[in-house]
Formats: sequence, C-alpha cells, structure tokens
Amino acid sequence: MSIATHNILRFRDVSVHYGERLALDHLTLDIPCGSSTAIVGPNGAGKSTLLRAILGWLPLASGDIRLGDSHPQHLLPRLAYLPQRQAVDWDFPVTVRGVVEQGRYASLRLFRRLGEADHRRVDRALEELGLTELADRQIRRLSGGQQQRVFLARALAQGADIFLLDEPFAGLDLFATEELTHILRAWEAQGRTVLAAVHDLELARRGFTHGVLLDATLVATGPIDTVLSAANIDRAFRHGRCVHDRETPLPHTTDFPP
Amino acid sequence: MNLHELIVTPFTYGFMQRGLLSAVLLSLSGGLLGCILVLRRLALMGDALSHSLLPGIGLAWLLFGPSTPALFLGALIAGLLTALGSALLSRLTRVKEDSAFGSLFIVFFAAGVALISKLPTQLSLAHFLFGNILGVSPADLGLSAAISGLTVAAFAIFYRSILLETFDPIFFRATGGHGGLVHAGFLALTVLNLVAALQTMGVVLALGLFLLPAVSAYLWCDHFARMLLLSVALAVAGSLAGILLSYHAGLSSGAAIVLCLGVFFIGSALLSPRYGLAGRLFVANPDQRPDSPPKVK
Repeated sequence: MSIATHNILRFRDVSVHYGERLALDHLTLDIPCGSSTAIVGPNGAGKSTLLRAILGWLPLASGDIRLGDSHPQHLLPRLAYLPQRQAVDWDFPVTVRGVVEQGRYASLRLFRRLGEADHRRVDRALEELGLTELADRQIRRLSGGQQQRVFLARALAQGADIFLLDEPFAGLDLFATEELTHILRAWEAQGRTVLAAVHDLELARRGFTHGVLLDATLVATGPIDTVLSAANIDRAFRHGRCVHDRETPLPHTTDFPP
Repeated sequence: MNLHELIVTPFTYGFMQRGLLSAVLLSLSGGLLGCILVLRRLALMGDALSHSLLPGIGLAWLLFGPSTPALFLGALIAGLLTALGSALLSRLTRVKEDSAFGSLFIVFFAAGVALISKLPTQLSLAHFLFGNILGVSPADLGLSAAISGLTVAAFAIFYRSILLETFDPIFFRATGGHGGLVHAGFLALTVLNLVAALQTMGVVLALGLFLLPAVSAYLWCDHFARMLLLSVALAVAGSLAGILLSYHAGLSSGAAIVLCLGVFFIGSALLSPRYGLAGRLFVANPDQRPDSPPKVK
C-alpha cells in the first residue's frame, strides 16, 4: 500500500470468555483506517463476539481494544452497528424515514426534536442509498436488498466513522448481494471503515480488501487474498482433517427402499 | 329513553363519575403500555401477570380489610413474586420461561380464588375477577390518577428511548441507551397500571383495557407515534361506551368495557384496508399486498 495508513482499531492480546470457553483467544491485530475488512472463520470462531467486544458489550478477560489514535485531543471514532436482518421485526409500525431518523436519536437531548440539520442528514442518507422515493413506505413493503439499505442509511445518518456489520449478506438474493457488495466497495473508496462478519468466503473475497481469519485464535490477517489462502482456510476450518477420515462412516443412501 | 337519559343521567351519581374518571385515566396509560405489549409480543405474559395479582389482594384483605394501600401493596408483591419466581425457575431449572410463567401464575390464581372465597365479606368473587364500578373509592381514584400521570409522563419524556428499545434493542444499546432500565421501567409501570385497573376491570379482564385498543391500532398505523395516539383514543372511547353499557344493561363494568373494545378489535381485523381481512380479500394485484415486497426491477 502506497499511502501511509494509521490504524483506527487496535487489539492487543484480547481474550473474551463465552461461558467456559474462550471465544477470543489472545488476539492481537490492527484494522487500518478506511479499509473494508471481512471477519471470516468457522461457526463459533468468535466473529460476532469480536464485533460485540468492539462495542464494549463483553468484558475482556485480558488485553485491550483501542479506538482511534492515541492523540489526546482527537475525538474517539463513532461506531455504527448493523443488526442481522432476521433480528428485525419487519411488521413494526415504522417507515423507511422513521428508521433512518433513529440514527439521529443518540445525539439529541431529552425534550429536543429533530432539528433542520438532522433532517438534512437523514435526507442525504436516504438519497445516497437510493431510498428517497421509498421514504414513506412501511419497512415490510420493501425487497430484501432495500431493507438492508434502510439500515445502512440509518448508520450513515448516525455520522459514524466505523461501521460494524453482523452477517450483512445473510438471506439476500443474488441481485441484492451484488448491490450490497457495490455499496461497501464505494464506502471503502470514500474512506469509511467497514468491518463485517461474513461466513461466505467467496463474498469475503469479492466485497472486501482486508481480512481477519479467526478460529478463536487469530489464524491470519492482512489483504484478503493472502488471508484466504488454501493453507489458511484448511487451518481455520478443517484443522487438517477431512470428512472422509472419520471413524463413523457417513450414511449410505443405497439402503433406502425403492 | 332519550339521549339525556342515555348519556347524562348515569353520571349524576358520584360512584359513576368516579368509575368513569378512573377508567378514562387508566385508558390513557393502558393504551400506551398496550402498544409495547403488542409490539414486544408480551401480550400473554401481561395476561398471566394480571391473574397472578389475586392472592396478594386476597391476603391483604384478610389481614387489613378493604384498605386501598394494603390491597395495592398486596397485588404489587404478588405480581413481583410471579415475575421474579418465573425468571429464577427458568434460569435454575430445565423449565423454559413460558412454562415457568404459565405454571406459577395458575397456581397463584388458584390460591387467590381459594383465599377470596373464604373472605368474611359480602363481596363476591366476581367482584375481584370481573370488576365492579361501585367499588371505586375516592382513594382509588387518586391512585389511578397518580399512576396514569406517571405513565403518560414517562412516555412523553422517554418516547425515543421507548421506541428504540421496542424496535431495535441492540441498536439502542450500541448508541449508548440503557435498555435494561427502560425494560424494567416498562414492567414496573405495567404492574402498577394493572393493579390500579383492578377495581373497574377485575384481574381476569384488566389486560383487555391495555391489549385490545393497542392491537386494534396496530392494524391501522404505519407510525409508532400514531399507533400510540390511536390506541389511547380507542381505549378512552371503549371505556366510556363500556361504562354506559354496564349501567344500562346491568353488566359488570370490566366485561362491558372489554366487549366494547372487542368490537373495535374485530372491526379493525375485518376492515383495515392494509393489514386486515379486507385488505387480503379485495386487493386484486398480489404485488400490492403488504406481505409481498414489491419486485426489484
């Protein structure tokens, strides 16, 4: 990389317990500012745990996570978190604009209404994600890709510096997946930092420039293509095993009655 | 019977004025809380909670007689015991939350029925189960006013926090909200309002005043704020109509109010153009239906 980068997120020896188990095992890694990073790994590798740890929801068993640079006069970067699509009640009485306006709530004091500046931000976010004409629709009456864009717009309206996405591609069809890949690529080009838990390796390759491969411990981090090398994937997902090595044989389909 | 006799005459009696005022006050807060119950899918939990208040009332009556503060405290303690007990049961044993709640509330309810049938009073069990407008004393009315005022104020001040905690608790937390606090406050207000509604509505029917207007409003609205307002309006209208019905037809006030609110609910479910049966039957183009998202070009 030719431009000197600084790291917006720094993990130093971070461990997090999940019940008895270590969900994150002494993790040390850096996320460069303005990069788009896919967090990949098998089920239970700690992808979502990593996002939650950044938000400060989980007690760290060791180490620390630093946001922003160490300059004392610089503001801490603001975080936006996108929930998984299945977690949303799509029948809720709220319109597209209503959801995007929620992005401004945290910056409002009690008793204050949304001001002109807030409305401008909401309008800009709607515009950027092509939702202006759908603004008054109830959120159930949208396609899957449009629904995902509503929540991206809410994150934009927050004015966040770091976007944390939990499985953003889950349940999207082909068109919507390509659209989201395109949006995330554009955000990266604009210098926004995106961090997404992704379980589909192919999508991780296509949509992101950086990768973090987890299996509770850090397996690899860096540019996405180096991270997702055949050797690394084998190490994280198969631990060198093969399904055919198992002692109990896989079921045979020949025994079924005709 | 002319209009004057229909609407004005009943309210020349002091007990009717108190009953009406108490019902209207609780409609204001019940309509608001009901919306959260509906949207968070806590309707059945709320119903169970209201049933479980009975032994608290029975015991308080047995020990202290018909004193408003004692009955109120008794009901409050019974409600909290059910909520806490089921939370503990579901954490410490194999029993899941819904079964824990369901089992505890039915035991509490049975204990309440047993207690009250042994009470040394002329009042019948029906009074406690289905409400009796004659029972609203000036002290009860003061209590209803205080609880209703508290609830409405909480909704006005914390509207945005309540909306976020109901719609997207994870996002609320991520933007620095105190989700647990909002939820605990909501549960506390629900128990307070249920207890306050007991005189007019009774333990079996109290939740109707909360739930029915909210679920009716849910069938019409695409905005959270409008749903809250419509729900309150329906609750007030239903209480007013119900109290008149109970006076003229000699019904228990709780049953009459629930019946009137039930008409709103059935009507909404049938007639709502977008989310009711009518919407499903008479919208020709399937793409226009609310449950089928428009096609992406």
